[in-house]
Amino acid sequence: MSQHSVLSRARQEGRGQLTEVEAKDWLREAGFPVVETRLARSRAGAVTLSRETGFPVVLKIASPQVIHKSDAGGVKLGLNSQSAVARAYREIMASVADKHPDASLEGVSVQRMAPPGVEVIMGMSKDPQFGPVLMFGLGGIWVELLKDVAFRIVPLLPRDAREMIREIKGFPLLEGYRGSPPVHLPTLEEMLLQLSSFVEANPEIGELDLNPVFAYPDGATVADARIILEG
Amino acid sequence: MNGLERAFNPRTVVVVGDKKGQGFFWLKSLKSFQGQVFSVQIDPNEIPLIEELGYTNYPSLMDVPGEVDYVIVSVPRVAALSVVRDCIRKKVGGATLFTSAFAETGTEEGRDAQEELGRVAREGGLTLIGPNCMGIFHPKIGLRFSVEQYFGEGGRVGFISQSGAHVGQMAVVGALHGVRLSKGVSFGNAVVMDSTAYLEYLDKDEETDIIGMYLEGLKDGGGLFRLLREVVRRKPVVVWKGGETEDGRRAVMSHTASLTRSPQVWEAALRQTGAIPVRNLEEMVDTVKGLLYLKPPFGDRMGIVALSGGQSVVVSDAFARAGLKVPPLSPTSYKELEAFFSVVGASYRNPFDVSWQLPLDSLRRILDILERDPNIDNIAIEVSGPFLARRWESRSEFIGELMGMLVEFREQWPKPLLVMLTPVQQEAIAMEGRAEFNRVGLPSYSSFDRAAQSLKKVIDYHRFLSEA
Repeated sequence: MSQHSVLSRARQEGRGQLTEVEAKDWLREAGFPVVETRLARSRAGAVTLSRETGFPVVLKIASPQVIHKSDAGGVKLGLNSQSAVARAYREIMASVADKHPDASLEGVSVQRMAPPGVEVIMGMSKDPQFGPVLMFGLGGIWVELLKDVAFRIVPLLPRDAREMIREIKGFPLLEGYRGSPPVHLPTLEEMLLQLSSFVEANPEIGELDLNPVFAYPDGATVADARIILEG
Repeated sequence: MNGLERAFNPRTVVVVGDKKGQGFFWLKSLKSFQGQVFSVQIDPNEIPLIEELGYTNYPSLMDVPGEVDYVIVSVPRVAALSVVRDCIRKKVGGATLFTSAFAETGTEEGRDAQEELGRVAREGGLTLIGPNCMGIFHPKIGLRFSVEQYFGEGGRVGFISQSGAHVGQMAVVGALHGVRLSKGVSFGNAVVMDSTAYLEYLDKDEETDIIGMYLEGLKDGGGLFRLLREVVRRKPVVVWKGGETEDGRRAVMSHTASLTRSPQVWEAALRQTGAIPVRNLEEMVDTVKGLLYLKPPFGDRMGIVALSGGQSVVVSDAFARAGLKVPPLSPTSYKELEAFFSVVGASYRNPFDVSWQLPLDSLRRILDILERDPNIDNIAIEVSGPFLARRWESRSEFIGELMGMLVEFREQWPKPLLVMLTPVQQEAIAMEGRAEFNRVGLPSYSSFDRAAQSLKKVIDYHRFLSEA
């Protein structure tokens, strides 16, 4: 689906947020290294997509109303077989239906489980005075706990991308801490610059999270993404 | 010539509505103005007093003969709009609206009045400064808004501020530190022109080498951001951000938005543009002073000489806190020092704790060694109030000789040189001493921390430029 029709469909449905699959498709089209993610509307569909994707896979609830997917029991990681996928599908549906009885459940997103890397977050929000501002920090569960993040105003120059990565306290983790291999910093810098251009070219985006991004010694992968439209 | 150019460099100034109730401070401040000044006032009780002050008064701006470059509007809000319309008809260069009680009152009535004012001014193409501000300070031509402000000799520093108080303080406090303004402007509620318009003007102004800004809110942060990126390459810009900005926070759905805070966004904006952040008037003055008088630094390693004794540890602490280094000297330097320090008798570690009785030629020799030492990028010398006082008593010509030696030294060598003159119990003497040093272009500071921070900001600015 084209970017334009994704946006207009979201607007028609009164959604301020793109689905995970919509957001990731858009980002992948724009050139970001995003894990391919597809929507399964049934248990059988989830099993089929898993087989096609290759194990291990991740299932996540697909519902416009469920924002905190993990809290609702809507995420299952590291599923290694068709039977595990089938079981996970049932459990997700039951748990989310229980916690969000009014939510409309479209199914689950299916993606190959990305190999572990250092988790970072890249994101954008809009400052009332300066407009789009990018954020970079340690991702996953650490972001809310440590708030170890750096900011730069769009448009970023190469030096801004370089400096904001080095500004966070957790930077030694990226350089290879206690024997772990260093991550490929030029990839992260390039992604930040790309994100700066992307949000500049798409002013209809109000907020955006790439979280987590797995950073590897030879690249990086966007494992989850959230795009909120301008209100 | 555009409106701001005429308003900043007027030949004819008209003050509308100055009155006894405010001590005729506009007209009195303009006694120093080199061009023509006229008054406009219709109150029959005020007119004779205005004429006593030596000004010709007219009942309306339209009656003033010839071209008018700059108008100061000091009438109540109800009358402001008609004066603004006259400014447009008269095709004046620019007008400052001292008149207040607009949006700053927070009332709907005030906001509406401001909106109407802005609409009229924009439609009429009027260069309107304010409202609720003091407008332009251009000391060289005697254009002032307070009798306390200097005139005649201007400086090389332009200053832009929402508040008039900060332009005034920057002028008078700066002058005590050897920092004089080329031009200053207070722009208040910024209904037609925001800080960016003045920044653009001072960027092009040939009298201005360094720009200081005091900002509270911003109409167009993105515009300022882009402009700063340009201007900073040509002239250093020092920014003092006052007030916590309202976040205007709505419900947010992303981690990023929930973690983004206005102070950090400001910090990022200044860092990205290379503008130099300061937190108060002292830092503003110190930083501008460093930019004006320090030679361009090429590193962050300090060579320090303390004359008053026992200060070396705390001096080192201050420079370390600012992120600067106080390294050991090169072996060659130690060898040279050894050769004559046995005679003088003092510590020759860096920082140097030397006796206040050290002869000037020995002091000069230490400075020369530091200057030649490849481990040292900058030199700071500490002189305390009590030290000066003792010297003053024994030999009053000493300070002149010390200054002469330092000036000569500075002219011969490329490394930045700072003077730290701490007051201890001799504030009056220390102030006088600092002013003397500043006058001859040796930047002097009242504390080690202030000196260290000032130098650090200058180093960071030059580093930003060289890495761009």
